Amino acid sequence: MSARRAGLADRDGFLAWVMLLPSVIYILALVGVPFLLAVAFAFSDVTTGDPSYDFVGFGNFTAVFDDGVFWRSLWNTLLFTGCSMVLIVVFGKILANLLIADFHGKWLVRFLILLPWTTPVALSTISWLWFLDSIYSPVDWTLRHLGLIDQNVVWLGDPNTAMLSVILVQTWRLTPLAAVIVMAGLVAIPRDIDEAARIDGAGFWRRMFEVTIPLSLPVIAVAALFGAIMTFTDMTVSYVLTRGGPTHATDVLASWAYFRGIEGGDVGQGAAIALFLFPILLAGVVAILRAVRRLEAR
Amino acid sequence: MVGTGDDRLSRRGFLTATALSAGAYGLAAGCASESSGPQAKNTGKAPQEVFTAPTRKLGGSLSVLMWSHFVPRHDKWFDKFAADWGKRVGVNVRVDHINTVDVPRRAASEIQARQGHDVIQHIAPFSQYEPAVLDMTDLVQEATRRWGQQLELCRRSSYNPNTRRFYAYCPGWSPDPGDYRKSMWQKVGLPNGPGSWDELLRGATEIKRTTGVPCGLGLSPETDSNMAARALLWSFGASEQDRDERVVLNSEEAVAAVEYMTRLWKQAETDEVFSWVPASNNQALIAGKSSYILNSISAWRTAMGTNPKIGDDIFFVPALRGPKAAMAAQHVIQQWIVPKHAANADAAKEFLLHYTANFPAVTYHSELYDLPGWPSLVPQLNGWLDDDPYGAKPANKLALLKGAASWSANIGYPGPSNPAIGEIFNTNVLPTMFGRAARGQLTAKQAVAEAEQRVNAIFRSWRARGLVGG
Repeated sequence: MSARRAGLADRDGFLAWVMLLPSVIYILALVGVPFLLAVAFAFSDVTTGDPSYDFVGFGNFTAVFDDGVFWRSLWNTLLFTGCSMVLIVVFGKILANLLIADFHGKWLVRFLILLPWTTPVALSTISWLWFLDSIYSPVDWTLRHLGLIDQNVVWLGDPNTAMLSVILVQTWRLTPLAAVIVMAGLVAIPRDIDEAARIDGAGFWRRMFEVTIPLSLPVIAVAALFGAIMTFTDMTVSYVLTRGGPTHATDVLASWAYFRGIEGGDVGQGAAIALFLFPILLAGVVAILRAVRRLEAR
Repeated sequence: MVGTGDDRLSRRGFLTATALSAGAYGLAAGCASESSGPQAKNTGKAPQEVFTAPTRKLGGSLSVLMWSHFVPRHDKWFDKFAADWGKRVGVNVRVDHINTVDVPRRAASEIQARQGHDVIQHIAPFSQYEPAVLDMTDLVQEATRRWGQQLELCRRSSYNPNTRRFYAYCPGWSPDPGDYRKSMWQKVGLPNGPGSWDELLRGATEIKRTTGVPCGLGLSPETDSNMAARALLWSFGASEQDRDERVVLNSEEAVAAVEYMTRLWKQAETDEVFSWVPASNNQALIAGKSSYILNSISAWRTAMGTNPKIGDDIFFVPALRGPKAAMAAQHVIQQWIVPKHAANADAAKEFLLHYTANFPAVTYHSELYDLPGWPSLVPQLNGWLDDDPYGAKPANKLALLKGAASWSANIGYPGPSNPAIGEIFNTNVLPTMFGRAARGQLTAKQAVAEAEQRVNAIFRSWRARGLVGG
């Protein structure tokens, strides 16, 4: 009896599968099945009111490519992702330095830094919607009282400031994640290297650019790619703050897919738009995996 | 030592964080919940409710999914009304209220899953669900037999002439008058508010020039901006489709309407109309940051409860006269659908008849927000509009709504509210058209041509499914 139990426990392959099974089921059910459904829907005439399936070939893709808003959304997605990624990495690195530093009240700073990441995205974005309100914005109120502006900026009413707002809120939201990832990389740098550089007379900036950043570059790359992928597929910030406006200036592929597929009712075309994210995301995933492998090789 | 210090800090931090969180939650709850604010006081007597025994034996349970009404008093009344009916006919009724913007996505998921509520109510056209819902023709015929002619705008918002099916049941609606601050318009010589689009441009420009307070017609991807866009198009003689569901958007009249909106925005508005959500124009009017908006009466009712001085300064005008007509879109159109997956369709239909029969109570408890789709149902309506039971000052402030059906139209007018019109509405084609021209991104002519291209693509897509004519 006990010998049989020991036998099962000894089988590495069996145990590995048992341990992995919940994750595999989770990924298949919540990622694999919806993805395959999206592929199927993209070639169908399914609507929100009519789930019956009729194959329409590439008709949805042709219609989507003929739509100027799709190309605008694609450009917005790239701009939104690119700018957010750069800002997330820069601020993530700065915050990571704060997180590893030793000073009085460190726990409070760490708590405040991580807060945006732990708050549900819809809730935190609604807070920003209030902060950037055209009439009651506390941001504008503060700037007015500091004498920096005469009247409210109306952040979400102008195409340029609306896009800027969406990028900054996304940066605010994802920077803590990048900071935690980069912090892990910084902690892993042997202290003697930094100390040797100090003894050789290297100042803060020189150590930063010639020691710390080169050694933590693979981790920074991982943080950047995580940020990019999470931004590329995100629609919450844009949807809650501007609903894609003004005049589609902040519509991204994910939000436009939602508008067409769910609110507009044309699930087929919505799925075709959403599927356009896939090849770019695939490239992102490959890049992440390569970066991780490079990190493991070090 | 350090550890001890950290521990002490953590405890204090915990207490502070807890207190801050509790305070923030209280603040958020207070801000977010419209129902927590004071309401208009009623001085009249609620109408007697009627009960007609169902034509068939009912049983089981009935689940209803509907919006959280803009007038909180309505939901309190409705929930008890539905439960009381259930007790009398032996049906266990459950009513789920959710935010109106969440209703379409919830309905979509239930219909895709082929399970969920027996009845779903929404306040905008639901025509895209036709293949998945029961035909309501029998119910409409019965209601028409009992209460006479249904309002045309309600019929057009629930009937598909191509399939000859009532995909929804529409017993009520709400108009979309112009709301203006009398004290502001008095100073520009229009104490009764603007009567035409020309007067709106002239008066609103003058108010903005002298006081800095802008006009509040939205150009944002949201419901009220969509309503305003349609009112403007129709009043200038343009529309998205004709009576036979052929796309006719690209016209000189549409270009003229877009040129007008460009002038209005440049002379009398600011960037903020591009950033609005549905509640923004209400807030702006009540805050004294807008001289005129297009909306229902709910913003004013809220102001009556929260700030009577401002409430008393808000007045209404009917649809503004344009070069060709004086038309406004309906603000809310009741759409009750019974999905094919409904487990208790008989009870659903009987309940809807009972609800309709009690429309005087619906109108009364919604503080005159919901008007009847079968006008004969509420003979008291004109009396209430002349002498508001909730204390309007003056008492006949809402008297203009007596003729609201004559200047209101369904989304999609002069054609029906078909799924193509629904998609055009929900993907904000028209506010974008007006907005692109106003911002100078395109000329008026180019903006109309661009919008027409999108409208044509949407119509083609739905025509292929057999749900749209033309």
